[in-house]
Amino acid sequence: MEFLQQYGFLIATMLQQGLLGLSLYAPLMAGQLSLASPGFYAVGGYIAAILLTNPAFAGWRDSLGYGIYPLTWLLAALACALLGLIVGVPALRLRGIYLALATIAFVEILRVLSLNLEITGGAVGIFAIPQPFGFVDRWQYLWLFLPLLILTLLFFRQLSKSRTGRAFRAIREDELAADAMGVSPTRYKVLAFVIGAVLAGIVGSMSAPFLNTWNAKQGTFDASIAYLAFVLIGGSRSMWGPLVGGALLSALPEVLRGLADWRLVINGLVLVVASLYLPQGIVGSLSRKPKPPTRPKPPTLNEGPSGPPYTSETT
Amino acid sequence: MKRTLSLLLLSALSLAAAQKVATPIAIGIAVAQTSNASLFGQEQVIGAKLAEKFLNARGGVGGTPIKLVFQDTSGDEAGAINAFQNLISKDNVVGIVGPTLSQQAFSADPIADRAKVPVIGPSNTAKGIPQIGAYISRVSAPVTAIAPNALKQALKINPKLKKVAVLYAQNDAFSTSETGIFQQTAKDLDLNIATVQKFQTTDNDFTTQVTAVLGENVDLVIISGLANDSGNLIKQLRQLGYKGLIVGGNGLNSSSMFPICGQYCDGVIVAQAYSPTQSSAANQLFAREYKAQYKKDPPQFAAQAYTGVQVFVDALKVLDHKRKIADWDLGELRVALNKQILIGKYKTPLGELSFDKDGDIVQQAFYVAQIKMKDAKNGTFVFLK
Amino acid sequence: MELSGFLQNVLNGLAIGSVYAIFALGYTLVFSILGIINFAHGAVFTLGAYFTYTLISGQFSDNGLLKGLNLFPNGSPLAGSAWGFALSALVGSLLAGVVAVIIERLAFRPMRTRSADPLLALVSSLGVALVIVNLIQILVGAESYSFPDGIYGNLPPALLFHLGDKTIIIRTVQVIIFAVSMVLLLILGWVIGRTRTGKALRAVAENPGTASLLGISVDRFVIITFFLSGLLGGLAGTLVGSSFGIAGPYFGVTFGLKGLAVIVLGGLGSIPGAVVGGLVIGLAEAFVPAQYSAYKEAVAFALLFIILLVRPQGLLGQAQIQKV
Repeated sequence: MEFLQQYGFLIATMLQQGLLGLSLYAPLMAGQLSLASPGFYAVGGYIAAILLTNPAFAGWRDSLGYGIYPLTWLLAALACALLGLIVGVPALRLRGIYLALATIAFVEILRVLSLNLEITGGAVGIFAIPQPFGFVDRWQYLWLFLPLLILTLLFFRQLSKSRTGRAFRAIREDELAADAMGVSPTRYKVLAFVIGAVLAGIVGSMSAPFLNTWNAKQGTFDASIAYLAFVLIGGSRSMWGPLVGGALLSALPEVLRGLADWRLVINGLVLVVASLYLPQGIVGSLSRKPKPPTRPKPPTLNEGPSGPPYTSETT
Repeated sequence: MKRTLSLLLLSALSLAAAQKVATPIAIGIAVAQTSNASLFGQEQVIGAKLAEKFLNARGGVGGTPIKLVFQDTSGDEAGAINAFQNLISKDNVVGIVGPTLSQQAFSADPIADRAKVPVIGPSNTAKGIPQIGAYISRVSAPVTAIAPNALKQALKINPKLKKVAVLYAQNDAFSTSETGIFQQTAKDLDLNIATVQKFQTTDNDFTTQVTAVLGENVDLVIISGLANDSGNLIKQLRQLGYKGLIVGGNGLNSSSMFPICGQYCDGVIVAQAYSPTQSSAANQLFAREYKAQYKKDPPQFAAQAYTGVQVFVDALKVLDHKRKIADWDLGELRVALNKQILIGKYKTPLGELSFDKDGDIVQQAFYVAQIKMKDAKNGTFVFLK
Repeated sequence: MELSGFLQNVLNGLAIGSVYAIFALGYTLVFSILGIINFAHGAVFTLGAYFTYTLISGQFSDNGLLKGLNLFPNGSPLAGSAWGFALSALVGSLLAGVVAVIIERLAFRPMRTRSADPLLALVSSLGVALVIVNLIQILVGAESYSFPDGIYGNLPPALLFHLGDKTIIIRTVQVIIFAVSMVLLLILGWVIGRTRTGKALRAVAENPGTASLLGISVDRFVIITFFLSGLLGGLAGTLVGSSFGIAGPYFGVTFGLKGLAVIVLGGLGSIPGAVVGGLVIGLAEAFVPAQYSAYKEAVAFALLFIILLVRPQGLLGQAQIQKV
């Protein structure tokens, strides 16, 4: 108990960040580098926070009791799926760093909006968010994050075995060839993007009560890069990578707590060293499997001043 | 194996149950030592450390010294929760002074409240903080009460004031509520608000706002913001030729503004919750020592953190008279300490203070000061009657 | 809008836009050669401002390991004159350039030789930024610093232009920043367009393989590029610092992010694009009406999002035919 009291929040946070790493991994399964997860995470959190505190929904809360919590998850998932479609369809015409930048812009625009809207509580945000199922301690959120994590992992495993998963891989390895084989890249890329959006939204809706409060700082550019670090340092070619990366990197500043002022310096150094010496990520380096032969060696230097921003599809 | 495990578990449980208060008495300080909130956090660390030094020199709690345990909250919510959990479960503190930001307080204070650990907020000015729970109080007054005084002071200096411009930092919770009070007071005093301009605490460039203000030919500008943005705003107002009076809210009450606006800070009228010239013995000692070490007047953040620690020590002293602190059970002490904090009266660097039933500070005196710059970097707040 | 108001906004926009331009140029140079975005560029911007401050003042405040340190007890020999400031700014920016080269050595080069996922460079450069920002805080604290008076000589704080019965007012420092940025851009344009080094640089950017076959040492040009990039970033930081003061170690973060919008708007890797992008975003922000200033921060990103959907190669970038 003592242990859970002290480290419960940290452990739950590790799972939560691992889940967010997985939300970025989903579009990556289809070869798409999207950094939009913090945006969907923030939206999911705001939906939960508003439903749980806004006087307009007092009636819902009274009649549903704890049932309001699953409803917040569901609504967050639906809203993020819709938003994911609206943003994803035009944005996924872009590729590589261009898609990444577009999604960074999306996150920033959402942040400025939430900072200024009445319903999101402006600069202060939303506070006094009630706790689900009588939770008192933070470790009890493991009852939410752990099942969600297991479901997500099962889902990803089934997905990668399915036709859809094979289509994702085909697009990731060679989009043109996949297109030629009759796999519609657009459809699958948007699908992968929406899966990531829904996951981030659900995590957000569970995290609002977890953090007791929700504000515009939850979805920022910093978070985008942090999740990217989870995936890359954990390993981007297996679903275990983002999970391990998220768990380890979110625990790192806490492990380094004893170093006081120096802890963020060390944290930065770890990022540099890990990206230099674990190019396949932690999970990638641990697994004994040979590197996938299909992947061509990335060029050491880029091809030209402005790489082709469009995807190769002709539509 | 099973037996050892259950034995371990049992001993852990019994340890938890019979947790005595350790000596020296541990008080937690959870403020932002990293991230961009550390601008305030580093002043709070200084204030708290000075409190530890002086209060221990004067015998601590009935002869038992206190020991501050610092846990960095960083600038985010998760960091604040982690810091609080560490202080509560690992460092076994009797109470916590922190966190730095109101948003962090909304996140971490409920944790302490549920664990029945008293928290004193040193700098959380947002509405609703003491209402988080019975164990949450604060020594940072929502100084909206003093806004009218600053405006009256400006009218005293220039009785012919008529047209005013109001500017405020829209992304700062305190500034948005403070500007509301300023605007209401201005109306009550029959001043004509010619324009209201918004900015962000992260802004550097205020040319748009300043141009709009200059276009209205006002003779008073009222600013609610934080030190850095307001410093730049004042500098740009003056550089672009604004000649009238400037009234600033509590966010401008910091000598850290001086290096930003330099000579241009001169003459700004500021509403304050703390004055280095406050005459109490506690403050005289604190201000003298601070000045000796840092060659400037102590800022409000340092004074409030000092006060937070002092309130804990004073309340502990009362309890110590009833029963030696070392004989208390930690859980019991935390509960009793919280009750004692709320009923006590304290003579602190902020002047005399007590708490209302929610745990919000009841402060006796607020101040209005005018900035006088000696040179480009150094200045003082000259207090106005 | 009245003409005077319009001109006022144009002047304000050009002043801040020119800083965006030189800052973004540093980003885009690195991208054009290596195809990576160096997230540590914002930290180098901050560092440049601190370097210049150290040279011209040398006095540190109450926090950090260097607290109370005064490098020049009798005042910095460079303080008090415009030339002294120009020299400190130059040396400060050169030092920022050196730091950028060190960053390349430590954080990017091993990655290139290892043929790692190019995206890892984002993470690595983010780590570098984290290290720099926190080192600054450990050394000199989180407080604001500002340059001493007289760095621009005895010029008046503001200039007035009369237009009929209206007056347009602009801060002198804005005019200086604009002028310095423009001169720098012209010099840089000449170096890249006309000199041998510039031609070789462009060749490397165009096709590193062919360039090395032609006997151009790619590594050398990577170093030159990083040096120029750091120099530009450091100078931008110094100029902004001279106008607004240095608002602590996180000073460069918003610039770092906005710089991304600038280079994409202009066209990733395009040098004239960075300049046009910087000026466009500066102007767009200046024309946001005061009552909507809260949304000013979103303007750059809204433009970024729109341009990516409409014309992803940016205003001046060239659409390339997909090589298959």
